[in-house]
Amino acid sequence: MSEGVGHLPHHGGAEPHEGPPPGLPRQRRGTTPQGYGRYPDFDVLDQVDHWDEVTRRVVLSRLEKIPPIRFFDEREAATLGAFCDTVLAQHSEPRIPVLAMVDAKLHAHQLDGYRYADMPPDGQTWRQVARCLDEEARALRADDFASASQGIRDNVVGRFAEGELAWEGFPVEKAWAVAMRMTLSAFYSHPWAWNEIGFGGPAYPRGFARLGPGQREHWEEPPEFATDPVKDVAERGVEGE
Amino acid sequence: MSTRLATVLRGSRRPPENDSAWLLDPERRGVPGRESMARFAEREEVDMVIVGCGAGGATLAQRLARRGWRIVVLEAGPFWDPDEDWVSDEAGSRHLFWNDPRVIGGSDPVELGKNNSGRGVGGSMVHYAGYVPRFHPSDFEVRSRDGVAADWPISYADLKPHYERVERELPAAGEHWPWGDPHGYPHSPHPVAGGALRAMEGARKIGIEFKVGPVAIANGSFGHRPHCIYRGLCLQGCKVNAKGSPLITHVPDALAHGVEIRDRAQATRIEVDEAGRCTGVTYVVDGVEHHQRAAVVTVAGYSIETPRLLLHSAGPRFPHGLANGNDLVGRGVMVQGAPQVAGRFPEEMRMYKAPPPEICSEQFYETDPARGFVRGFALQTVGPLPIAWAEHVLADGHWGQALREYMRDYNHWYTLGALAELLPRPQNRVTLADESDANGVPVARMDYSQCDNDRANIAAAKQTLHDVLEAAGAQDVLTIDRYAHLVGGCAMSASPEDGVVDSDHRAWEVPNLFVCDGSVMPTQGSANPALTIMALASRLAERLGEGRVRVPGRGTSTSWRKTSNPR
Ligand SMILES: Cc1cc2nc3c(=O)[nH]c(=O)nc-3n(C[C@H](O)[C@H](O)[C@H](O)COP(=O)(O)OP(=O)(O)OC[C@H]3O[C@@H](n4cnc5c(N)ncnc54)[C@H](O)[C@@H]3O)c2cc1C
Ligand code: SF4
Repeated sequence: MSEGVGHLPHHGGAEPHEGPPPGLPRQRRGTTPQGYGRYPDFDVLDQVDHWDEVTRRVVLSRLEKIPPIRFFDEREAATLGAFCDTVLAQHSEPRIPVLAMVDAKLHAHQLDGYRYADMPPDGQTWRQVARCLDEEARALRADDFASASQGIRDNVVGRFAEGELAWEGFPVEKAWAVAMRMTLSAFYSHPWAWNEIGFGGPAYPRGFARLGPGQREHWEEPPEFATDPVKDVAERGVEGE
Repeated sequence: MSTRLATVLRGSRRPPENDSAWLLDPERRGVPGRESMARFAEREEVDMVIVGCGAGGATLAQRLARRGWRIVVLEAGPFWDPDEDWVSDEAGSRHLFWNDPRVIGGSDPVELGKNNSGRGVGGSMVHYAGYVPRFHPSDFEVRSRDGVAADWPISYADLKPHYERVERELPAAGEHWPWGDPHGYPHSPHPVAGGALRAMEGARKIGIEFKVGPVAIANGSFGHRPHCIYRGLCLQGCKVNAKGSPLITHVPDALAHGVEIRDRAQATRIEVDEAGRCTGVTYVVDGVEHHQRAAVVTVAGYSIETPRLLLHSAGPRFPHGLANGNDLVGRGVMVQGAPQVAGRFPEEMRMYKAPPPEICSEQFYETDPARGFVRGFALQTVGPLPIAWAEHVLADGHWGQALREYMRDYNHWYTLGALAELLPRPQNRVTLADESDANGVPVARMDYSQCDNDRANIAAAKQTLHDVLEAAGAQDVLTIDRYAHLVGGCAMSASPEDGVVDSDHRAWEVPNLFVCDGSVMPTQGSANPALTIMALASRLAERLGEGRVRVPGRGTSTSWRKTSNPR
């Protein structure tokens, strides 16, 4: 089934929606965000003994206790946490603590080396995104973005992504770029996300030896496409779509 | 040397006058010799201060030190120890980049940070991919041939011996190169991964030829540099010392010949006397200001920081900035259009393996009148890691569950990229912004807008990438528009009206001020720039060292005091 592409969005596969994607196996080894992934028997953390010490420290620190939110206030954190969950489809535990990672970076004044001439500094951009998301949710008769239904959140984020929202004096497309840049680099720096996508992770000093098409190292696992969705859904005790 | 003989001798010839690879420690990656490095007094007038220890600065320092010049290099970033400072991880490598604030504007703003420049000994080549193609002879005469942009005041023939020399120092590995001025490489081509094999097969079906290389990764024994382990993290700094960057290709030899490198030392101002000559450089270490006197100042800080420093060095003698009497400093800064197209294959390709730079085609490099635009593009490979892959998926318009689905499919994808030559335009410029950095120096602002020729070139490049992937059997494609590389801004020119420096990199307005980095390029071709920047530095060093460039008030440089080799 890996030969088919029916699971891909260009071919009618996953669209933004609630609940787990149909047919995706439950993770059997290690942790993945939301407990499913394409590589159910792969845990990149089994390989930590093969990583160099400096890299190991840096990567494993991402699994340690999450720092408290310090840059955003409570209200912003609620809105932006819901935003990160929506754009990453993190609708259930276990979640990668993306907003906490973003907050830590902004709190430490870590910059990315550029700012659009017509945009405020990144931290202010995030705050403004929080305000605007709440306003958009209220315009759709929710109390705020965080407490809005998944449908409303998807609606607002969908229009944000398409650049269809008009926010006074605030270029929406660039705001989307700034927010998504940080969100994605937080999520895909996390070993749980590597488990989900079957990424081999740090490979120093061991390196890779099997480079050809369809080849893998002895410790890499094949993807699993052949799960019977009906059985799998029943096993996981979740409703189908 | 004939191609055949060069092939027989591949890898067995040691580069002349550069022992860097043999000075490295076989057991540790850090550069030996820092403890015993030369130290000059700030009040002493050294022969040259170089600002920036990257592609241009480090190469120039190594060459001139071999000729006895007393040189201090000021480098804003740290003196890296790859064992301790670098990680085998994408997000953990952000400290390699120039992350200080910069402002971007124009109708097509260029995102900077990790995409453009580095900070530290070795410069941006610490995290460059490692492609090292030469420019084509046509690149030096774009104005004469196509009626646009500019001609260089030098030709391909002027750089050719230096290309050959630097290729042996890096060393460059690849197949015999049929494009531009055909040439071979000192090291054999590396094995390529699955995706590159498929792409080459697909391309061949539609008449497009790819070659393996050229990359600055030794293939075979080369001094104390270990072999590549195909771990795919070249853009995060090579912890193995397999990929060549000035940190390991020129700095060790420079230290052994008496160069002092002061790291974490950010130049804030070039000082000038009443006669309009440079006297030295003011710089800041840990918030404390210092000053180094020098007979000659060379700026090699990259195409953004070099114009910034010149503009900020304005004073009574040069009210609009150093070397900026004609209002040309910072103008003509260029990036290459670098769209990437990824293709989905039934087999796992696992594009995180093998160095991202694998194969290249320069079949579309030259102007083709049938295409309706001038100049062209090159095709290469890129190998995005998960975060870069997520940016790619996002750019194709996906978020939420759709994004996660494409991410989960990562191992089935392979990514090609193009480098499209965009033309230099005077309104594309580096200027000083209203805000300042921690040292009180205004930050750089870079404005960028494309012209119609640029857009047509990028569109053609993107279409060709699609065609190759389709012919290779890709089941689905994802596209991202982006830029790569950044050169120009202090163009060399044949006359003072047309540029900032002359053919010897000397500022037209300041006789003892030189610029030696990517900013001197009047045009950029569709080749990656690092090799050419090093070759330019190598040529300048030869001319300065042999006294063919006169530095007024000092006689010819040959009369300068030669120190004996300290080791
Ligand atoms: C992701 C990426 C991939 C790339 N891939 C390739 C590739 O495959 N092939 C290729 O040819 N090129 C590649 N490049 C581009 C290449 O690395 C650069 O073009 C080249 O290194 C530029 O050389 P330079 O001498 O102009 O500046 P740099 O090498 O950047 O050196 C400038 C140095 O000056 C220092 N500096 C700046 N201002 C000051 C100051 N005021 N005081 C003190 N020090 C200062 C900086 O810290 C820096 O170390 C890539 C770049 C990036 C970002
Ligand atoms: S792939 Fe090779 S050259 Fe690139 S970082 Fe790894 S060891 Fe170094």
